[in-house]
Amino acid sequence: MAPIIRTVNLRKVYRVGNEKVIALNDVNLAIEPGEVCCIVGASGSGKSTLLNQLAGLEKPTRGQVFIGKHEINTMTENELAKFRQAHLGFIFQSYNLLPNLTAAENVALPLMFKGMPRKTRLKLAKEELKKMGLVKRANHKPTEMSGGQQQRVGIARAFVAKPKVIFADEPTGNLDSATTRQVLYRILQMARENNITFVMVTHERELAGCADRVITIMDGKVQSDVVVDEETRSRSRAEMFKDLVDLAPAEPQTTVPAQS
Amino acid sequence: MKISDLLRLSADNLRRRKGRTALTVIGVVVGTFAIIVLISLGIASNANNEAMLQSWGDLTQIQIWNYAYGSVGETPKLDDEMLETIRAQEHVVAATPFYSSNEINASIYAGKNERYEAYFYESYGVDMTALQAMEFQLQSGSWIPDGLNLGKKKIPVLVGANMGYGFQDTRKSWNSGKRQRWAGETDSLGNPVPPFVDVEKDKLTLRLMAYDSNGNEKTQDFELVVMGTFVSDTSKHYFTESGIAMRISDMKMLEQAYEKLSGKKNSSSGSSVIISGSGGVMREQDNGYQEVYVKVDDVDNVEEVENWLHDIGYEQTNSMTQIRNEMQASVAKSQMILGGTAAVALLVAALNIANTMMMSIYERTKEIGVMKVLGCEVGKIRTLFLVEAGSIGLLGGAIGVALSFAASAVLNNLNAIVAFFGGEGIDLSGLTSMMGGMAGMGGDVSIIPPWLVLLGLGFSMLVGVLSGLWPAHRATKISALEAIRHE
Repeated sequence: MAPIIRTVNLRKVYRVGNEKVIALNDVNLAIEPGEVCCIVGASGSGKSTLLNQLAGLEKPTRGQVFIGKHEINTMTENELAKFRQAHLGFIFQSYNLLPNLTAAENVALPLMFKGMPRKTRLKLAKEELKKMGLVKRANHKPTEMSGGQQQRVGIARAFVAKPKVIFADEPTGNLDSATTRQVLYRILQMARENNITFVMVTHERELAGCADRVITIMDGKVQSDVVVDEETRSRSRAEMFKDLVDLAPAEPQTTVPAQS
Repeated sequence: MKISDLLRLSADNLRRRKGRTALTVIGVVVGTFAIIVLISLGIASNANNEAMLQSWGDLTQIQIWNYAYGSVGETPKLDDEMLETIRAQEHVVAATPFYSSNEINASIYAGKNERYEAYFYESYGVDMTALQAMEFQLQSGSWIPDGLNLGKKKIPVLVGANMGYGFQDTRKSWNSGKRQRWAGETDSLGNPVPPFVDVEKDKLTLRLMAYDSNGNEKTQDFELVVMGTFVSDTSKHYFTESGIAMRISDMKMLEQAYEKLSGKKNSSSGSSVIISGSGGVMREQDNGYQEVYVKVDDVDNVEEVENWLHDIGYEQTNSMTQIRNEMQASVAKSQMILGGTAAVALLVAALNIANTMMMSIYERTKEIGVMKVLGCEVGKIRTLFLVEAGSIGLLGGAIGVALSFAASAVLNNLNAIVAFFGGEGIDLSGLTSMMGGMAGMGGDVSIIPPWLVLLGLGFSMLVGVLSGLWPAHRATKISALEAIRHE
């Protein structure tokens, strides 16, 4: 199968004062459709920079990024916006919900940018919130929700437009471990159900265990690119989600508000 | 992304920072209010000036002279032929000289033994049709028809409303208080004193008096037959009050008769005659009528006709349009000065809006980044902020317009309002004259026409949008990366 994400000699150099910092150094990657892919690495390794390049948030200094057949590094800002509307979803570490919009309105945001009428998009948004077990919170403002709830709204927002790829930047970075497991469970479940490629940056090694593929970045280079075997993955997922297996449709019992 | 979505997002954002939005809006309110009120004062001044000019005289009349001071070229002869040319010109309704002769030495006598005497100099030869076109009015009698002939020595005339008071009692000495009577004089009982002569009934004799070359006095008598009496309107001409109007042909006939009497050579037309100088040199002084009035069909065409008159050589002209233009220019000047001051207020408001939008954008940097990551195009982000800035402007403009109406109502009814609270009347004429208008006409002080409302709203919104341009541009430059930057 043709890879859905591919980079060719991807290089990113930042200029800090008079010094050049090589954040990415000739990265070549190929991620298959439907894969759950973790990008791990220490702080400053370049893993976030890599994600930014893959999602087209930043232009590479050199090299190419392909998503499907599209070379996104040559796109203009408006072309990228259109491309994101159609094909990409994004989950942020600090949720990034718009504070003056309700949960449903936040989820419906990508659909609004597409030009979908308000009624239709709010209906779709509520369906998505229902899958996240948050239907009762649809009309709440983000400030009225816990961190876990906010992040689930964020996840619903990423999935609502049925993208091909979802990028996540430390999606559980601001959550406690119980909530982390719940949120991750939802993501994996949704990605699998919709056959969505999921690329996540994390510095938590144990999260990487449940991915299909783990890419380790060090000093701007791919240190290792490992496809996790079926057995290991099942074992670590079972271990991680052992107390969550029958939780799917209901509200989680414990949600500790997290500070962002 | 639909317009309704843009409006909803903008409204949400403005509502989120109520205090700041309110302060910014107040800035626009002050600016719009100041501009509208000042413009309304100017409009009212112009309206009052117009009303006053109307009371001063006919706005559709032009006065021309057959000479010009400091003129480069020759002023063409203003004779009957030229009058016909002027009458034939587009927009000209009528033209007439108010033709008086300085040459004629004559007096009017009435009463037994010709006891009462009036001077002749306030007598004019006029075109009767032109008088009617110029809306001269008779309180009694009728206009003199062109073909009327009462006999060789009888001249039909129209008299001013108080022409009778022009007669003096020649039996009384020059310094006697009883030699003259005047209109409005009352006796000891408070009854009005009638003039010595009832011009409509008594016989009026016009006597030309000349001296021949030998110094002998020669006289010739004519009878003046009063055909009608004017309604006094000195804004049209003084002869409607105390003078006499006759046909031009009769006036010329009198002139010729006088010239014959004094032994001077006949002149066919015109106010002046050929004078023989001491050196026997003949000097042509005749340049037609000294002063001619031209009636135009509409106020708006006066300028055009006046310009045409200038073009054909009459540089010395006068019309209310000139005064009107000067008055309007004066109002416009004050409006410019005061409006400029108000514009400064609006400029400050614009800076305020820009500042508010900049702050708003700095605060929402992350949100803007998130919107970009979620697929919002650059243009929509720009539009979003322009709509917000424009809304602040429009909102401020709307409130400003509403307040202006309130202020306008208060100004126009200030005396009534002050009186209601037991105060004394306030003279707002200072306010009007500040605008270059003429005080004391009693009209509205402030007038806000519908176009001014639209102008106010449109302008305030434009100010909002313009001040939003730079902030909105800044917003579009915010990188999508801001979304994932951690604080």
